Amino acid sequence: MNQTAVPVRLENIVKRFGAVTAVETVSLELPAGKLVTLLGPSGCGKTTILRMVAGLERPTEGKIFFGSDDVTQLPAYLRDVTMMFQSYALFPHMNVFENIAYGLRVTKRPNDEIRERVAGVVAQVGLQNLEQRAVQALSGGQQQRVALARSLIMQPRVLLFDEPLSNLDAKLRKRVREEIRELQQKLGITSLYVTHDQEEAMAISDLVVVMKSGIIEQKGAPRELYQAPVTRFVADFIGRANFLSGTYNGSSATVGNYSFAFAQPIQHGNVTVMVRPESLRVAKDGIGLEGKMHSVAFLGTTTEYTVDTAAGQLEGVMAGDAPLLAKVGEPVRVQFANEGVYLIQA
Amino acid sequence: MVAAIPSAFSNRSSRALIPAVLLAVGVLLLPFVRPDRPFELFNWDLVALNKATWLAWLLFTSSAVLSVLSWLRLPMLARGYALIGISSGVSITVFAWLASTSSYFGFGALAALVCLLLVLGVGLSETGLIQSDPFIASSIVLCGIFVTLFIAFPLFVVLRESIIVNGAFTLKKMAETLSSPLFMVLENKFTPRSETTIVFGIATAGAVLGFGLMFLRKARVQLLLGTTLAGGVLGFIVGAGVFGRGAFATSLYLALIVAPTTVFFGLIFAILEQRCRAAWVRRILSIVGILPMITPPFVLAFALENWFGAQGLITNRVFGVDTNYFKGVTGVAIAQILAFTPIAYLTLRGSVQGLNPALEEAAQTMRSNPWMVFTKITLPLLRPGLAAAFLLTVIESLADFSNPILLGGDRSFLATEVYLALTGRYDPNEASVYGAVLLVLVLTILGLQRAWLGNTSFVTVTGKPGSGNFSMLPRWLENTLQGVLGFWGLLVAMLYGSVFYGSFVKIWGVNGEFTLQHYIDFSGTGLEVLARTAQVALVSAIVATLLGFLIAYLVTRQQFFGRSILETTSMLSFATPGTVMGVAYVIAFNVGPWLLTGTFIVLVLALVFRNMPASIRSVMAGLSQIDKALDEASTLLRAPSSTTLARVLVPLLIPQLLSGIVFAFVRGMTAISQIIFLVSPGNLLATVLMLSWLEQGNLGRAAAMSTVMILGLLGMILLLFAFSKRFSRNGTGLEGIG
Repeated sequence: MNQTAVPVRLENIVKRFGAVTAVETVSLELPAGKLVTLLGPSGCGKTTILRMVAGLERPTEGKIFFGSDDVTQLPAYLRDVTMMFQSYALFPHMNVFENIAYGLRVTKRPNDEIRERVAGVVAQVGLQNLEQRAVQALSGGQQQRVALARSLIMQPRVLLFDEPLSNLDAKLRKRVREEIRELQQKLGITSLYVTHDQEEAMAISDLVVVMKSGIIEQKGAPRELYQAPVTRFVADFIGRANFLSGTYNGSSATVGNYSFAFAQPIQHGNVTVMVRPESLRVAKDGIGLEGKMHSVAFLGTTTEYTVDTAAGQLEGVMAGDAPLLAKVGEPVRVQFANEGVYLIQA
Repeated sequence: MVAAIPSAFSNRSSRALIPAVLLAVGVLLLPFVRPDRPFELFNWDLVALNKATWLAWLLFTSSAVLSVLSWLRLPMLARGYALIGISSGVSITVFAWLASTSSYFGFGALAALVCLLLVLGVGLSETGLIQSDPFIASSIVLCGIFVTLFIAFPLFVVLRESIIVNGAFTLKKMAETLSSPLFMVLENKFTPRSETTIVFGIATAGAVLGFGLMFLRKARVQLLLGTTLAGGVLGFIVGAGVFGRGAFATSLYLALIVAPTTVFFGLIFAILEQRCRAAWVRRILSIVGILPMITPPFVLAFALENWFGAQGLITNRVFGVDTNYFKGVTGVAIAQILAFTPIAYLTLRGSVQGLNPALEEAAQTMRSNPWMVFTKITLPLLRPGLAAAFLLTVIESLADFSNPILLGGDRSFLATEVYLALTGRYDPNEASVYGAVLLVLVLTILGLQRAWLGNTSFVTVTGKPGSGNFSMLPRWLENTLQGVLGFWGLLVAMLYGSVFYGSFVKIWGVNGEFTLQHYIDFSGTGLEVLARTAQVALVSAIVATLLGFLIAYLVTRQQFFGRSILETTSMLSFATPGTVMGVAYVIAFNVGPWLLTGTFIVLVLALVFRNMPASIRSVMAGLSQIDKALDEASTLLRAPSSTTLARVLVPLLIPQLLSGIVFAFVRGMTAISQIIFLVSPGNLLATVLMLSWLEQGNLGRAAAMSTVMILGLLGMILLLFAFSKRFSRNGTGLEGIG
């Protein structure tokens, strides 16, 4: 790990634009050298937080620390933070080399050092032999790498990502995000990543922070958020989920006619039962929620199906090659697996 | 309350160091005051130490204190407040000293004030009161002061002078001027009929007509009242214009004739350009678009008089009439229609080209005939553009100085009355009343426009052009409109040609013998004055473009308190009629510490603040093409704003900046109304010299100068077009990536 990496700490940050509150009392710590993702729908305040860390916006209240330094009032150009923009923001009147070297030129580094460091970072992101190209002549993926190289060359204390992959097509997005993850782990730069794509967030992050309307809904490792979402919003935003009203008595939960053994530290009484689609088990008869097969769609790797029950329509997923136990229209019993079920306070 | 920032990267030397040191240098070396108008660069008798010893020592001390504060690595916040306190306190002291001793400021005092304001800006930045870096904060302070001093303050002075005479508040001057026959008179005592009755009769008829039209359409009550009122007002203006006399009535009547006519022609040309099969039409129109820029004032007016005046070639020689009919509203109206139609055309062009052909095609598929498509679809879509063009030509017509002064005859006009009151009757208060009336009139019109159109864009449909093509005009209509354009082009060619011809013959229309005498006469004083004019125009063009660039950048890319005030105030000079701005400068900068009249600098300033709004607009348009993320990326790569400007934005905006400088230069060369009061013997400008030649009857010499100016300016613009074509072909585009 990078010895110089610093943790970033946000303390009770509030940001208002006129009468609109974009961020409402957010406190957050980005561990040194880790990649933290802010995830949420548009307008949830995630980009505003990113811009406040960059210094492009100043918080209305609260403080921001890099390590032990209070940077709240420090202007952006002194913060030692770089960012990858959604639009890449490459300078159109400069070639690849000059784009990457820009920060070093501005800080008046000697020419030899610039050449050496550009060569180093160009090799790191795989842009060899393209230094003299005009940036417009590059593909989207290559432009992306120039933007990354331009950020990395400054050896910033904090690296920011503002939905950097949204302009790439799906296959390229997957590859670039793996490369970013690899480089970030190797260099150990404290990073903050903003996206509305939950799959991207899960794939890339050490820690995911789910936001809604300017507040933090939940933060945790990707797996933790998926398995134990504390609110219906988080469960719905991260992966797909069925939500059923039920009751809980400390050792078992009941939905309609179906009771199953379950233990979770949560208040007894009415609860919302969250069940992931892959955790549904369908049988012809036996114990289970009574229902009727509504639709079946074979998608290759997986088969998706829906079941109508008294508690509502349930969505299910199973392996594509698994044997189908019931045809559309036939009565079925639905059980829940041990994994992928979680109770949320109703 | 903002807490102090601890250790590592907060305690830095301040950017205020350089201005703080320069403060002492400027005060020590430059003449602090002037005994008279001219500025001097070196004069030991006039430096602060010899003129105001205690003030000099105060400035030296504060320079030393500020330098030490800036040099030491102190906590930013506390130092920021110290910088603000010292710099504002000392600059107020300097100003108070200048004002109390009635000294005229010299370069030394100017340098001191500018340095102190720069320090103030750095202080505002370091305290976070302006949340930007020192460069931006200082720019905001300086631009704010400049705009206040050279736009808001002079206009305020005009309004003040109209109600404060000899230091005492009085409405007498106002009442006197507004009731004088020069302002407005309806009754003509020498005719038996009662003009007042006729005028009010027409006004009533207008009101009834307005009411009737809307009543038949079953309009709402507010609309009914509105049209009744509008009909009455328009009827009154027409009546007063035809039967009455006086500047107010005449100017409004003139505007009422000129604006609809020019908009009509402008619309014809814009539509013809888009929907005509003949290529020559577009070629002619591209020349039409350039003409108003390169034409010196008076050229059209005096060419028109040569053809149609009392001794005119056509009126007198061909038809044998000797009439003064042309002098007056008729002549001015014709001259203005010729001069402003290109402006209306250029304004409407954007709206017409922004139309979406799919909408018209949709209407056609719903069985609309071409006339219905035009009246039900095209015209309503063009309404904002038409309104904008209409209001613009109303303002241009009201503000026009050169045509009324030559062709006005016995009628008086608001813009010329401002001039005549000041230079003919030596009454600055009366001039101010006229100026205030004109200013209020123009601002009311702008206010109405805002209220009516809101801030909606004048381009009705923007963005990607829709699919489909405009249907061409019907043959008969195309031929008719081409005829109109052809006639218009012929008239204009005739007028310009006559100026060119007149510069080479002994006496235009009388003695057609070839001669170069006019050019020889012209080169005597003319060349020198032309060179001086070019000098003034060039300096002001560069300053206006750079200042306009900075202001456009500040108001579009930065957030700070007072941003919209800065924007509105800088745009205000665009709407202010030139003579009003001119008279404002004369009155505001003729006394006290700000004595500037009679200097080169005041001419430059007048042109700078006249041309700046155009630069601001063009840079704003350019900046809106550049992704804001480019600025932010540069900032995060550790470039302060000044570096971002120099390395990213300026290189990307070079075409805009260059054309901004050229256009500002061209406008500066042909300016008349705003500088006619400000010229002085050593600083005569070409257009003013031309006016005096015309008044003395040296028509050939004036024609020679016009020819030289038209050809020179045309050459410059063609050069610019060639250059920008090359630039856009080889260089990079303006769009950011992504």
